[in-house]
Amino acid sequence: MHNFYIGFMGLAALFSLITGSSAFAGTYNLTIDEMRAGYDRGERLTMAINGQIPGPTLRFTEGEEVTINVTNKMDTDTSLHWHGILLPFTQDGVPGISFPGIKPGETFTYQFKIKQSGTYWYHSHSGLQEQDGVYGPLVITPAKREPFRYDRDYVVMLSDWTDEKPEAILGHLKKNSDYYNYAQRTVGTFFRDVSENGLAATVKDRADWGRMRMTPTDISDVSGYTFLINGKSAAQNWTGLFKPGERVRLRLINGSAMSYFDVRIPGLKMTVVQADGNNVQPVPVDELRIAVAETYDVIVQPEEEKPFTIFAESLDRTGYARATLATKAGMSGEIPALRPRPLLSMADMGVDMAGMGHGDHGAAHKEAVAAPAMDHGAMAGMDHGAMADEESMNMPDMQSGIAPKAAKKGGKVLVYGDLKAMKPYADYRAPDREIEMKLTGNMERYFWSIDGVKFSDAEPIRLKYGERVRFTFVNQTMMSHPMHLHGMWMQLDTGRKKFNPLKHVVNVPPGQTLSVDVPADAMGEWAFHCHLLYHMTTGMMRKVIVEGPVAANVGMRHE
Amino acid sequence: MNPIFLPLAVALSVSVSGLATPARAAAGHGYEFGAPGKPASATRNIEVNLADNYYEPDAISVKQGETVRFVLKNSGEFLHEFRIDTLAAHTEHRKEMAEMMEMGMLTPTGINPEKMNMDHSKMDMPSKAGEPMRHDDPNTVLLAPGESKELVWKFSRAVEIEFACNMPGHYESGMLGRIDFAK
Repeated sequence: MHNFYIGFMGLAALFSLITGSSAFAGTYNLTIDEMRAGYDRGERLTMAINGQIPGPTLRFTEGEEVTINVTNKMDTDTSLHWHGILLPFTQDGVPGISFPGIKPGETFTYQFKIKQSGTYWYHSHSGLQEQDGVYGPLVITPAKREPFRYDRDYVVMLSDWTDEKPEAILGHLKKNSDYYNYAQRTVGTFFRDVSENGLAATVKDRADWGRMRMTPTDISDVSGYTFLINGKSAAQNWTGLFKPGERVRLRLINGSAMSYFDVRIPGLKMTVVQADGNNVQPVPVDELRIAVAETYDVIVQPEEEKPFTIFAESLDRTGYARATLATKAGMSGEIPALRPRPLLSMADMGVDMAGMGHGDHGAAHKEAVAAPAMDHGAMAGMDHGAMADEESMNMPDMQSGIAPKAAKKGGKVLVYGDLKAMKPYADYRAPDREIEMKLTGNMERYFWSIDGVKFSDAEPIRLKYGERVRFTFVNQTMMSHPMHLHGMWMQLDTGRKKFNPLKHVVNVPPGQTLSVDVPADAMGEWAFHCHLLYHMTTGMMRKVIVEGPVAANVGMRHE
Repeated sequence: MNPIFLPLAVALSVSVSGLATPARAAAGHGYEFGAPGKPASATRNIEVNLADNYYEPDAISVKQGETVRFVLKNSGEFLHEFRIDTLAAHTEHRKEMAEMMEMGMLTPTGINPEKMNMDHSKMDMPSKAGEPMRHDDPNTVLLAPGESKELVWKFSRAVEIEFACNMPGHYESGMLGRIDFAK
């Protein structure tokens, strides 16, 4: 390991000697310390960067050589990871993979050259510190003109604040994974469903979920959060000013530990121009779902002199984050009602009930259906003859319960298929090989895993520098997983080939399968994990090692 | 149709100009701010580069009564439009462009000539006036990637107008330019 570090740094130094030092450089100083903070219900001891939650917005410029001094004033180790940024792996900030972490009282100096532009963020990669408040926005100004235009520019960073210590949350989950599921179905909802769907359908629905040892209200496993925009609760109402007719760029960042949001601004179309920091062909939408750790840049053009509410409902509908676009401070727009909590359906679980009856379920579903945890054998033995064909088509379980739907009638919701890269990817080609990753979990004991193996027991994934590897995620759980690869882009396969969008996080919905192509263009050791904090912590993570040609590997050892 | 029930944007343009988009077909394409010009009458050229997704320059100045030859070049990778119109008429036209994309007459990178020349009035989704939908308004030019074209226009009256690209998402993200009338 040491040899590799030295060799790599030596090479980097040589490279900078050859090219000469760049035109400009910037130094940034960040301090991580304990702090008391709270929202609406008193304070607790927590952690913050430079005394604020979120931390300060770092503003870099493409081509800049940045130096970031990070000082740890706490009595526990810490770290900062630059989420979505392309850099030498030794600067990536993941303790145990890229560096040993920052010890109490120490200052670690990060140095790297900015090779990209757009909206990103940064956060601690140590323990559960991200949930405590160690995160902030990162904005990079491009070297060239952007393919869109705006008059105002605001960061809109979403996050989930908890009044509990994150360690206590993890403890509750390990004891009882349904600890935060306040919406368990009861005998009352049973009778409601009977009157809406009929007795046979309701009994069958409950029986199906029982056989899978899961519950359909299980769309997020932690709740009781206060949702924030730029560190302000809904009551505190963060406000961005505009003049009617101006174009306003909103840099949406989901810096939550565990929460997805459905975001809309009633009365305004949002034109999506960037996803995960990369320009996309502009697409006007009424609503979008932002997975944990994703970013979307949208442009809105309010024409009227009145307040507009930025409304971000948590996916589990336990609450919302809210901010306002206003023509003067203190204005407040109407706050819509929370929509009902979506329920997972059998379709979300990859169980194509109608298809099973006719014996023609698709190959993509087959994998998910075969998941041991889902007790496929028992389901296959169910009496499908009892389902009248006509009725079965109208059963609620035939459609996804969790797929986003627009609040506005006939409104457009952003889907991954809408994301088309602005610039075609020059080296687009078929992948050299494919690696399948089953996303797995054990809810009874609350640990999450990949291919049934948690991080601490897993071998690293080895890639060869220059190869192009397709990762296919097969989600065999009932939760969405925002999968995040460090150091390299994932080209999300939407069927647009060279226009497939470049992402650092892809959301894999329950029971679904999706593929990304990864150009292995960054040497070193990288983290690859689910960005739901408690899923990563309990094991849904891998180390990826990008190695050089065989001859160059001599002397490169890993513990 | 009772004017009270017209959408706001259309109602506004009616009151400003008396010649909103739906009325134009009947009136034989009238534009309150001018008309297509004769190439020979053009007194100067204005070069406009259509990039992804913006114009260079993004503001021009014209004189009332002047005939200008716009020399247009699409240097981008996507299909772009150069249309001179009032703000309200651009808004209406954006709906037509979205429909044309949906029907496959237009794609992000070009025109589908087969579908563009079909008689869409026989389809489920006829255009607003119930006429065949075409992209042939005299105040508008469509340019495929790499294409160069010209538009000659006589500016007769100082009205608030813009040049804009109404491909879905392009105008919204800022592909438009101001037209000022010099005194």
